[in-house]
Amino acid sequence: MNLAIETRNLHVYYGNNHVIKGVDLQIPAKGIFALMGPSGCGKSTMLRTFNRLIELNDGARVEGEVLLFGKNIYSPDVDPIGIRRQVGMVFQYPNPFPHLTIYDNVALGLKLNRLLPGEKIRERVEWALKKAALWDEVKDRLDDYPSNLSGGQKQRLVIARALAMKPRVLLMDEPTANIDPVGTAKIEELLFELKEEYTIVLVTHSPAQAARVSDWVAFLYLGKLIEVGPTRKVFENPEHELTEKYVTGALG
Amino acid sequence: MSRNIRRVKERAFLCGVALLTALAVLPLFHIIMTVTVRGLPEVVSGGLRFLTGTLSEGGIGPAIAGTFLLTFLSALLGLPVAFLVGLYAYEFPNSAVGRWTKTLLQIMLEFPTILVGVFVMQVLVVPMGTYSAIAGTLSLAIILTPYVAVYTHEAMRQIPFTYRETSFSLGLTRTRVLFRVLAPMARRGILTGGLIGLAKVAGETAPLLFTAGGLYESYPHSVTAPVGSISLLIYQLVQSPSPADHRMAWGASLVLLLIFLDIFVPIRLSLREVKL
Amino acid sequence: MRDTFRALTLPAVLAVFIIFTGMLVVYFTNAVLAFHRFGLDVYLTNVWHASEDPEKEIYGIAAAIWGSVYTALIAVAVALPLSIAYSIFVVDYSPRWLKNPLIVISDIMAGLPTIIYGLWGALVLVPFLRDEIMKPLYEHLSFIPLFSYPPTTGYSYFSAGVLLAIMVTPFASAIIREAYTMVPFIYREAVYALGATRLEATRILLGYIRPAVVSGTILAFGRAIGETVAVSLVIGNTFNMTWALFAPGYTVSSLIANQFGNAFIYEYMTPVLYAAGLALFVIGLAVNLLGIRILRRWEENVP
Repeated sequence: MNLAIETRNLHVYYGNNHVIKGVDLQIPAKGIFALMGPSGCGKSTMLRTFNRLIELNDGARVEGEVLLFGKNIYSPDVDPIGIRRQVGMVFQYPNPFPHLTIYDNVALGLKLNRLLPGEKIRERVEWALKKAALWDEVKDRLDDYPSNLSGGQKQRLVIARALAMKPRVLLMDEPTANIDPVGTAKIEELLFELKEEYTIVLVTHSPAQAARVSDWVAFLYLGKLIEVGPTRKVFENPEHELTEKYVTGALG
Repeated sequence: MSRNIRRVKERAFLCGVALLTALAVLPLFHIIMTVTVRGLPEVVSGGLRFLTGTLSEGGIGPAIAGTFLLTFLSALLGLPVAFLVGLYAYEFPNSAVGRWTKTLLQIMLEFPTILVGVFVMQVLVVPMGTYSAIAGTLSLAIILTPYVAVYTHEAMRQIPFTYRETSFSLGLTRTRVLFRVLAPMARRGILTGGLIGLAKVAGETAPLLFTAGGLYESYPHSVTAPVGSISLLIYQLVQSPSPADHRMAWGASLVLLLIFLDIFVPIRLSLREVKL
Repeated sequence: MRDTFRALTLPAVLAVFIIFTGMLVVYFTNAVLAFHRFGLDVYLTNVWHASEDPEKEIYGIAAAIWGSVYTALIAVAVALPLSIAYSIFVVDYSPRWLKNPLIVISDIMAGLPTIIYGLWGALVLVPFLRDEIMKPLYEHLSFIPLFSYPPTTGYSYFSAGVLLAIMVTPFASAIIREAYTMVPFIYREAVYALGATRLEATRILLGYIRPAVVSGTILAFGRAIGETVAVSLVIGNTFNMTWALFAPGYTVSSLIANQFGNAFIYEYMTPVLYAAGLALFVIGLAVNLLGIRILRRWEENVP
């Protein structure tokens, strides 16, 4: 099995707070891998170790290894910026840049990183918007600002922005937590299409969503990995008592 | 009975507070009124001659030119420095240098401006052997920079953390994240700070006392030569015993007041709060 | 890449530090001559004897230091009740439509060119104070030392103090008003729930923000002590050292402003003025740091 991401004995500290406690996780390439668990158990933190975004927090400390397609991204010779260009991220609150047009939002990563020459950017933007199932809705107003988009549309714009960079892995931190049910459904549909080509790591605090959408799921509780496996199995036949409590809603 | 006494005390208190508040803000109105009442006749009767003529022609033209020149030059020098310092303080708030920078900026915000002027005199005017626009500019720039740096810093801090995360997650370098994404997001706050700083230095006097020198018989022609300013001229005119000079001082004050209010008020009204 | 950003911004930061230390160095090195000649007497004695013969020059700026401190104290004493009242009014009692205008007015007053304050002070405020307040007080109460100096021109510590008070009130107000706004609503509710009248409640809430009030006072003091042109136009520029409010005096900043122009003629006057500047520098620095520290500490402890 080809592994997109693997963690070995991953520990994360915020100051004196031990947030992630010795996690060994294997995320296969392609498909949707869900990280679920109650709030505050460290899912978002762990997600941010996968693209070294955790380093933006001053007090954060990471120990252990995180391998991206076999290479440890925390080894001293690795440049985090290079990693981040290979890994796209979508956040909890749809956050397209309000001061940039829809077109510029999607093109931003390409332009500033000088990944493509000018003419090719236009092609890529169109491609990304189509992949994010947003093209038809915005193709006539690429020069508009995102403030006029609905929550769901904004989030798809953010997905397009990430996809434009042609990452190998897509990290999603509770992407539908602040979207209405209709928008959520559209995004989940989109995820089904994307998983054929991309590795998607989806943090969610709705076990129902994990059950609907993911191929594998890992259950995190208080910074520890409790259980992991194919979604079907974990939900129908959980091995651990805590897992069972969580998927049935007994745990918050 | 005691309830009534309490009520009376309360009434008295409310009246007292309202009265003191009025006293606190009244001076501004009186000042504006006086400057207008005493300055307007002077400006009106002098007309264009007042605004463009030299001192012996009865005008403050060179002074107005000097104010604009000095303000412009100090902006050229001070704004970029302030912008960079503000960004540094924002990006490295916990480093030793970052913390000291913030403290230093706070100190320099309300530093006695005469001391800045005397310092610049020592390092520029004395070696150059002459008062100059450059010296005046440096003085004003030193005063301008902390203001705009603090505004820049505050404006950047208003940007929600999620945009920072997003920019970095796109694999952008720190330089690009700050200069190409975040600073443009904060541009309104930064520009506002710049303009408020400029409004302030346009009216400064003490820093120019021993640096700019004063030039009122001819228009400024070189940055290494002395230059005047409206504020400096007023200071000179007030100290003279002649009533004609005092009248001119009022006229010049009106011009200065208008320049100041025209920049400050619109900017201030477009902001929600102001750093002093 | 991290280095590019640092490389771009650090020079600017260094420039600021260099200028600041440069100022300190310049003041110190230029004042050394005065210290050699007069020692600490330059700060402790009140004498101003200029002479072309260096042997005969004697200077002591005690009068100016006294004047700076005295006028700043008067300013703060007047400004404090005004700032507090203003802050309370704006936050608690003002009708909605008046709130923002009041704040804007205060900000305008804070930024207004000080020379305009000076002009108005010298030609309008001083005659007013002299005729309406100083003369009557002198006529009736001159047995009190404070009022014992005849107010002939009106240029005096008193006038300077009042003008400074008008100028620094906006600064103290900004700090106090901001702190007063930040008092958590639950606290206010609790106080009123206990049945306090507005007067009593205000007293309690003010106590809660006392560090901010102290800080605002200190910063206003620092601001007042550093003011130059406005003060020099209303204080009379005379070497006096007295409590008498209506006597003219000197402040360090107005001394420098007044005397620097002709100081180069005399051998020791310039160093003495630099020593004066150094004193102002140190006082200003100490005061500002203290005020900032008190405010920051309080802000960190308040939820």
